[in-house]
Amino acid sequence: MHELTIAQNIISIIEDELQQRNKLACQVNKVYFNTGRLNAVVPESLQYNFNQIKKERKFTQNAELIIKEIPITIKCEDCQAETQIDEPVFKCQNCSSRQIKVIAGKKMYIESMDIE
Amino acid sequence: MTKVKMVRNVLEKNDKLAEQIREMGDNSKTVLFNMMGTPGAGKTTLLESIIPALKEDYKMGVVEGDVATANDADRIAALDVATAQVNTDRFGGTCHLGSEMVKPALEKINYDQLDIVIIENIGNLICPAHFDIGAHYNIAVVSITEGVDKPAKYPLMFRNSKLAILNKIDLLEHLNIDIEEMVAGIKQINPDIDILKMSALQPNDGIALNKWIKKRGRRK
Repeated sequence: MHELTIAQNIISIIEDELQQRNKLACQVNKVYFNTGRLNAVVPESLQYNFNQIKKERKFTQNAELIIKEIPITIKCEDCQAETQIDEPVFKCQNCSSRQIKVIAGKKMYIESMDIE
Repeated sequence: MTKVKMVRNVLEKNDKLAEQIREMGDNSKTVLFNMMGTPGAGKTTLLESIIPALKEDYKMGVVEGDVATANDADRIAALDVATAQVNTDRFGGTCHLGSEMVKPALEKINYDQLDIVIIENIGNLICPAHFDIGAHYNIAVVSITEGVDKPAKYPLMFRNSKLAILNKIDLLEHLNIDIEEMVAGIKQINPDIDILKMSALQPNDGIALNKWIKKRGRRK
């Protein structure tokens, strides 16, 4: 359900970026959104919510949301290896140590957008 | 066609306000706890069991989050502590508390006069874990009847919490489960998390939770 909040935030950030550039009359074609796997964003759900609310604004009415999921990368504090995990077991894939730090896969952000 | 580069955190508004709330707490020496968990895990009952002793030592307040109704706030207010209800149906019925809802509720109970505020989030193991509301400590509450693999299914909640409470432990004898499997599942997600096995209905079980909170609370 937090996908609706995320979709609303995406649109208000787009609006803010266009406003800063005095380009509110533009059309947004593509929005590139990256989300770390740890955020548990369901891409289908975010896509659905985005498509429902994008029509409320002229500048996003034809916008396509491109979602890229970033894998969870951890760094081991014992053997220093950087490995990726696919399931929620937070241990080093190299030496099985639990002394790890998550170094990627936490953030969610808009990277860029194509406008005309 | 023009490419516009930005790299902007989609939760920036919420996160900035959460940071402000934490600073407000730091400035007034008020420690904020965010209590999250499943619907029916026993969050409100836990609060009812620990507040009478806690309020002897601290000036405390509670923010109750629910989609609708003031039932929980009424239960807490009956214990004679400062209580504010947040109903998210006014914010579109969202499934989690956001900083923009928590800040006015804290102001309403004059948080700056208080030592401790416990914010009871909306019952939900998913969304609340994603939204920083400015608390100093996150607490996750589940009951053992929900199945031992619940933590593994909702990892972010346990990853982001400092304490996991396994409630309704008094029902263990009626259930065909291995509680240590649940504990191991949580430790796999977050090896540093504290775990309390307890029943909110057993008066003595609240003592360990009170101690955990007191260790982090400050008296003005």
